[in-house]
Amino acid sequence: MPIGSFTVLDAGPFDGVDPDDYVRAAMQWHFAPETGSRYWLERADRLGFDPRHDVKGVADLALFPDLTGELRDVQVSDLVPRGYGPQARPLHVFESGGTTGAPKRVVQMDDWARHGSEQVTRRLRDHALPVGALWLTVAPTGPHLVGDVLHQAAASLGSPGLGVDMDPRWVKKLIAAGRRNEVDAYTDHLVDQCRRILLGQDIGVIAATTPMLERFARDSDLVEVINGRAQAIIWGGTHMDPDTRDLLRTEVFPDVPLIGMYGNTMMLTALLERVGLTASEPCVFDPVSPYVFLSIVDPDTGQQVAEGERGQVVVSHVSKSMLIPNNRERDTALRVRSAGGHVGDAVADVAPVPAVEGETVIEGVY
Amino acid sequence: MAPVATTEPLHLDALGPRGTYRTRVPSTVTDVAGAPIARLSLVPPLYVVRAIDALRQAPPIAAADLETVFATAGEAFAAGTVGGLSVREYERHVSRTSGTPLAVVRAATRGTARFVRHAASSADRGRPRGAARDLSDHVLHETHTVWARQGDVFAVNASGNHPGVHRVWLEALALGYRVAVRPSRREPFTPYRLVAALRQAGIRDDQLMLLPSDHATADTLVHGADRAVVYGGDDAVAKYAHDARILPQGPGRSKILITADTDWRGHLDALVASVAGESGTACVNATAILVEGDPAPLAEALAARLAVLPSLPPQDERARLPVCPKERARALSAYLKAVAAGTHAWLGSDGIADDLGDGSAVLRPAVHQTASARAPQLRTELPFPCVWVAPWTRADGMAPLRNTLVLSALTRDRDLWEALIAEPSIANVYFGDQPTHWMSPGVPHDSYLSDFLMRSKAVYEGPS
Repeated sequence: MPIGSFTVLDAGPFDGVDPDDYVRAAMQWHFAPETGSRYWLERADRLGFDPRHDVKGVADLALFPDLTGELRDVQVSDLVPRGYGPQARPLHVFESGGTTGAPKRVVQMDDWARHGSEQVTRRLRDHALPVGALWLTVAPTGPHLVGDVLHQAAASLGSPGLGVDMDPRWVKKLIAAGRRNEVDAYTDHLVDQCRRILLGQDIGVIAATTPMLERFARDSDLVEVINGRAQAIIWGGTHMDPDTRDLLRTEVFPDVPLIGMYGNTMMLTALLERVGLTASEPCVFDPVSPYVFLSIVDPDTGQQVAEGERGQVVVSHVSKSMLIPNNRERDTALRVRSAGGHVGDAVADVAPVPAVEGETVIEGVY
Repeated sequence: MAPVATTEPLHLDALGPRGTYRTRVPSTVTDVAGAPIARLSLVPPLYVVRAIDALRQAPPIAAADLETVFATAGEAFAAGTVGGLSVREYERHVSRTSGTPLAVVRAATRGTARFVRHAASSADRGRPRGAARDLSDHVLHETHTVWARQGDVFAVNASGNHPGVHRVWLEALALGYRVAVRPSRREPFTPYRLVAALRQAGIRDDQLMLLPSDHATADTLVHGADRAVVYGGDDAVAKYAHDARILPQGPGRSKILITADTDWRGHLDALVASVAGESGTACVNATAILVEGDPAPLAEALAARLAVLPSLPPQDERARLPVCPKERARALSAYLKAVAAGTHAWLGSDGIADDLGDGSAVLRPAVHQTASARAPQLRTELPFPCVWVAPWTRADGMAPLRNTLVLSALTRDRDLWEALIAEPSIANVYFGDQPTHWMSPGVPHDSYLSDFLMRSKAVYEGPS
């Protein structure tokens, strides 16, 4: 195995490596006995193809089935590529939201933490985010990736960050159980913490989940201070429908740029809204070559949909740290042509997969 | 070259605090056969929150304007062109989307217009005798009591089973509440027309709104209002049972009781009307008929009358039965079959879905006889003419008659009259030859709405 191909795999987001070269190098890394993780080496036998031979570029990632369900049970140590050496430990282990059963786990090694953060920072700079301004981040931390991405982003912009933590799993549980009063009480608890920070500190950047921004919008004192002081609002962690986005931009926070962020645990990073979109354009997220590839497919056939059409979002993450190919997300989006030389589709107007309404009979005339 | 004329789809925009509001991707309202009829803008929660804020800031409609506003709006609703639709077009859309027979829709248009015209006076019917209307009411000096609102914003999470459900919230408007209506996604035409007609008549955009939304966002509306009425099944009733700000409207389980001293043969028309009038889709349609004596002859006669109702598309003027998408009709039919196990079917044993061949199906009547007045089937209310006939004895007593929106009693037993009036779980009692679906402006439906919306407040004006 020529050591040269591993150099490709060490490429940073702006080194301009060819994505196909990168994917080939990643296949060598993850499936060679000396470097691959125990998980992939054992899984390779049951793939029905030889990734080192058959995956010749980005397009061939489609050969992989969606194996992310297995990430619920795999031992974390089995996910670490051996090539990092016997002493290597992941910097972080992140878990998916856990909305559909047990959470899936992913590992983040130092090099990926660096590359992932670098691309986020670069895109935030493209959005003209201020350097050194005080951040307030209201997003889940701990097992959740999003909080870490935002804290890293603030740090790399030289910005001290204040944070308010939240436990989305508990909130989802309360909602599912119809315990609305408790949801409201928990939300109020978060807002109280934010209010103290927003009114007491000179916050320049607010990074928050969509529901928190919507909640801020109800309180005129918060709206006033945000419009008066903030230089940017970053939303992420959950979806934002285009009508809400428009209301926030035009009516609630007309004085502050609103920047979307789309990411999830299996992507192992976050995508920032395309710079320079006009008011009438939907919120577009470009992929990140050579690490994150997106495609929009018909959920029934798995075939790519036409540009401008809505379909299911399929994400592949390829890095030295992890390989998570062909993950079918519980998101739908419009397929958009990617910009900036990135390979694969870009996505717009990301939304949750609609719930299926069956023909169940509820008694009564309503 | 002249631009090619294209048919713009019919849009039902939200009617919000700053006029109409159209979402980027409106949802599609389809008719019973699945054909698209209109585009409905479902607003997001943030829009609802801001709309409620605007309602809260707005003043009540001035009492002096009420009569004129309701008179003008009633006229526009019944005969005008509202939101680009003539009354005939409106009625056809309602019929095609909700599956309600056109004749029922037309009667409902006239009925609703009457409720609009009488909204102010009917709302006032619920005012306690001691309570003054306001500070200028001279009775105040005598009673030291004023009738006051318990809140400012009233919300309705409405249903689409019958156009008449929208008569309820008119009184809230008359009582000074600012009102937001979340329409049924199946039949948004009626509340759209009513809200638009009232706005045309002078009610401000920030006093009355139509806020179509998905199910989850409806919760934001209901919980953001000071008082709300929510239509739904037993689950909705249970969900809101302990929230004093919310009045759930669940299954009506209306019933008819016929005692041995009265011959039902003289009242068959009223029985048929109670079961199948208004196409049998209202909460005030009879779900059960309890007979002192042998119920079989009554069930047989009723079945014979209902069996001849024709299967027709809803927009046919001769149609009397409800229509729905065929998948739903089949689901209802299968459900009925499962529930009816152990009963005797006089009508509907072969299933009640009658396919019209265009993707829709007529829901045909069903008449079943149960062995006892305590059979669980008597609680099963379904959205078409579906009735359970049961024997009733004095030993059964009040138990089978409980939990009833309207009870029509064909009896000369005055003690029974008193007992029925005294029974707390029966909302309304009609004696004699009166179908269960009778309603009139100013007559309570589920108590006066003002019992839920208003309170009496001691006001003493001493020398200052």
